[in-house]
Amino acid sequence: MTRFLLKRTGQALVVLFLVSLIVFVLLHQLPGGPARAILGPKATPEAIAHFNHLQGYDRSLPVQYGMYLKRLVTGDLGESYKLNQPVLALLTERLPKTLLLTGLSVVLAALLAIPLGVLQAVRRGRLSDYVLTGAAFVAYATPVFFLGLVLILGFAQQWPLFPAEAPQAESVGGVLAEPAGLVLPVVTMALGIIAMFSRYMRSSVLDNLGEDYVRTARSKGQSQVRVMARHVLRNALIPLAGLLGLYLPTLFSGTLVVESMFNYPGMGLLFWNAAQSNDFPVLLGVTLVVGVATVLGSLLTDIAYAVLDPRIRSVS
Amino acid sequence: MPTTRPTGPVPPAEPPLSGAPLLSVEELHLSIAGRDRAGAERTVHALDGVSLRLAPGEALGLVGESGSGKTMTALSVLGLLPPGARVTSGRVLLEGTDLAAASDQVLRRIRGEAVGVVFQDPLSSLNPTMTIGAQVAEPLLLHRDVSRAEARERAVETLRLVGLGQPGERMKNYPHQLSGGMRQRVAIAMALVCEPKLLIADEPTTALDVTTQHQILELIGELRERLGMALILVSHDLGVIARRVDRVAVMYAGKVAEQAPVARLFTSPRHRYTQALFDALPERAAGTGRPLATIPGLPPSLTRRPAGCRFAPRCAHATDVCRTEEPAPRPADDAGLHTYACFHPADPAARAAAAGAAGVVRPAEDAAACPGADADVLLGLDGVRKEYALHSGPFTRRRDRRRVSAVAGVSLTVRRGETFGIVGESGCGKSTLGRLAVGMEKPTGGSVRFEGDDLATLDRAGLRAHRRRVQLMFQDSYAAMDPRMRVGAILREPLVVQGVGDRSAQEERVRELLDEVGLERGAVHRYPHEFSGGQRQRLGLARALALAPSLVVADEPVSALDVSVQAQILNLMRDLQREKGLSYLFISHDLAVVRYLADRVGVMYLGSLVETGPAAEVFARPLHPYTRGLLETADSAVVGGAPEAEPAKGAGPLAGETPSAADPPSGCRFRTRCPLATDLCATTPPEPTAPAGEGHLVSCHFPLLPVAGRAG
Repeated sequence: MTRFLLKRTGQALVVLFLVSLIVFVLLHQLPGGPARAILGPKATPEAIAHFNHLQGYDRSLPVQYGMYLKRLVTGDLGESYKLNQPVLALLTERLPKTLLLTGLSVVLAALLAIPLGVLQAVRRGRLSDYVLTGAAFVAYATPVFFLGLVLILGFAQQWPLFPAEAPQAESVGGVLAEPAGLVLPVVTMALGIIAMFSRYMRSSVLDNLGEDYVRTARSKGQSQVRVMARHVLRNALIPLAGLLGLYLPTLFSGTLVVESMFNYPGMGLLFWNAAQSNDFPVLLGVTLVVGVATVLGSLLTDIAYAVLDPRIRSVS
Repeated sequence: MPTTRPTGPVPPAEPPLSGAPLLSVEELHLSIAGRDRAGAERTVHALDGVSLRLAPGEALGLVGESGSGKTMTALSVLGLLPPGARVTSGRVLLEGTDLAAASDQVLRRIRGEAVGVVFQDPLSSLNPTMTIGAQVAEPLLLHRDVSRAEARERAVETLRLVGLGQPGERMKNYPHQLSGGMRQRVAIAMALVCEPKLLIADEPTTALDVTTQHQILELIGELRERLGMALILVSHDLGVIARRVDRVAVMYAGKVAEQAPVARLFTSPRHRYTQALFDALPERAAGTGRPLATIPGLPPSLTRRPAGCRFAPRCAHATDVCRTEEPAPRPADDAGLHTYACFHPADPAARAAAAGAAGVVRPAEDAAACPGADADVLLGLDGVRKEYALHSGPFTRRRDRRRVSAVAGVSLTVRRGETFGIVGESGCGKSTLGRLAVGMEKPTGGSVRFEGDDLATLDRAGLRAHRRRVQLMFQDSYAAMDPRMRVGAILREPLVVQGVGDRSAQEERVRELLDEVGLERGAVHRYPHEFSGGQRQRLGLARALALAPSLVVADEPVSALDVSVQAQILNLMRDLQREKGLSYLFISHDLAVVRYLADRVGVMYLGSLVETGPAAEVFARPLHPYTRGLLETADSAVVGGAPEAEPAKGAGPLAGETPSAADPPSGCRFRTRCPLATDLCATTPPEPTAPAGEGHLVSCHFPLLPVAGRAG
């Protein structure tokens, strides 16, 4: 198990290195270079040359990449042009809040989707299965921004149960102090995940119920409930763990919409604002974080697989 | 206990058993609701009035082909029926309790407690994410008032009882860490941990190798005696049933055709179906050069209850009464232990005479059918080796680059017009050898020559042309055919790829092929899924023959088929060989099939060819201890119940398991399981020699030579 983890972490580091390379290339693909982007279309060639020299942009690309990596390792992601703050400081302030939002959504989704999926599988072909299937398709097909609007209209305006704006506190603790404000953003994000996960859970449980080992478990005299809890559940969760890891990048793009809609000061909103003001260091910083998150997501998936499935543990 | 049957002139069909029966199945009717391919609802009448009785401690064999209802009968005892299946009438009495009408709660108390079950596939039957210890202890925790520690202790004990070495450590293993045979031992331990009164074994060894099969069956027999439990052994294999049960019930199309004490059934079957089934066994015609007796056609679809005897449409002795009236079980002897449901039963006296006559045919007389030694060599393998990397990838460390030695220095020749049979257990490299012979895999060492050309020297065009001369036939022809292509296109494809003729010529050739394999020409418009297993195998053969090859490599072509259909395919292969002068490289794990079809055989063990020679020679006088062990181990269903030959020195049923090909033993690869092995065997790999005469090669330092008087 330890060897497996070391091996997977090593592989993740290789991928992270590649992510940094891609972000670096992106930086150099900006139209007219970063100087033009920052100094504006009216800047003189002299001013541009001076800027490039100051930033080291007149050196050879490998040297620049070396410098970039060196800065990266020390945590220097550059400065925001608009906010005049180090990108790292911005990210460390915003990232935990985004993690809180996605984390809460995923936990809520898993808590609901897994039992719903099991229920549908057990009641396959009955009314409850059809109703839940229909609901899942509606939730899955609805765009996040529309879903958010509907929830705001319904639960913030028509019946003002929850605030339409997310907590504005600086720290995670502060955000948690106003749980009511988190309800609508979390539910908006979670509904789509619930719809998708419950569908997968349903088919995964159905697949497993058809397996021979379930018949064996029944032949021992176990009740349906115990067969489900002791035998089927764990096996059915294996594909779901894979799905979660793959879904992580999509979740991050989902926060972009949800955070700007509820004005939640997380990374998504940071990215949204930076994109509107050509704040490239911030955009690249966020891109790097999303890249890292994706790699970590698949690392976590592999670990989850190994925990759930002993067969994977021993081949690796 | 008289039971009424619709047209039963002879009411007391059940054998009068002494004492109360443990289990009594009475007039069981079972139907399965489902949908056909078009999506229309249909009901399959899987069981139609099945009656069986089982005394405490008795062993009953249920034999039949696929779809005969044998598994349904066994599973209905525990209510473990597949979705849609329902008992429509009849009773299943276990010590007086009717399980067919029992609630789920009652059934749950009986499952795993009074009745244990062992299923076919030991891998899929075990939960992959639970340790075997937890799985074996589970029934105890459910049915017995024991603590976890006590349950664990009992589980260890039971694992020891089923012959699993170091059961204490094994408890923490997961199913995938065990070999197939060990997994089945675990499954048996699970079924037995509560010491049930009845064990139901549903094809318990069908997924296992010959030697493992023997070990598992011995184990079940031993445990049955020790625990005094009754046994229902379900199998399609008459050989498996032959020596393991007291009584046999032969099932056909949802009914019991015949029931008798095992020896009596094998010596004097009365029902025409039982008789035809015995006659279709390749064991019966081995070495005679005669075609196998076949049962024409297919078992009836059970969506409608057929009128009359269900076997009538396929029976050579059927008359009008068979087609209109349903035969009731009638006793064949005064004791009523032997019953059969047939209007025109076989005459046991005539049969015994015929069996005696067949027995006279000596294997040696088959020599005429065997092409001479100087016949020209079609395929020549010389010291062929094939290794695969175990782990591979850009980040694989050097010490991880272990290699699996699938084929280790095999030399053999296949002559024009002959059938060369390769026998061996799973993982012995026989399929790899087949792919090497076709040229689909490149050998790591040695050479493969076809009509004198070394395949390694052929360029792309040469290899392409070579593919015309050698074709493959697979075990699962259905999986080997594109499900979205019509049969016409499937059969035409090889011709299109090789650019043979224009479209009309190709279509003409397809029609010819269908005629040759005995399928109607209209089949070109149909899809593979519309055919039965036997018909698909005919299609597989037709496709292999499309390019008129000189060699067909057939990899387990009849292993998935029922005995009666298997005989049809074997006969067809034999006829086409005679007609076209074809050669076959026939790969199979089934000794009886190879013995029937092959002129010469090669026996493989863990990548090495341990013995080659004329089939009759090798089977009659094996020289290698492995061959000998295989032959002793194989459960043959030779009618007449002749006792096995006395065990010779250094032979006997094979114990142990095949070592891993990733880490083969040094010297002779068989030495770890060989009773004759010495230090020499560990150091020096044996070279092939011919101690018993030319043409019969053996790779062994201590070949099993016959006593001097018989040598020649």
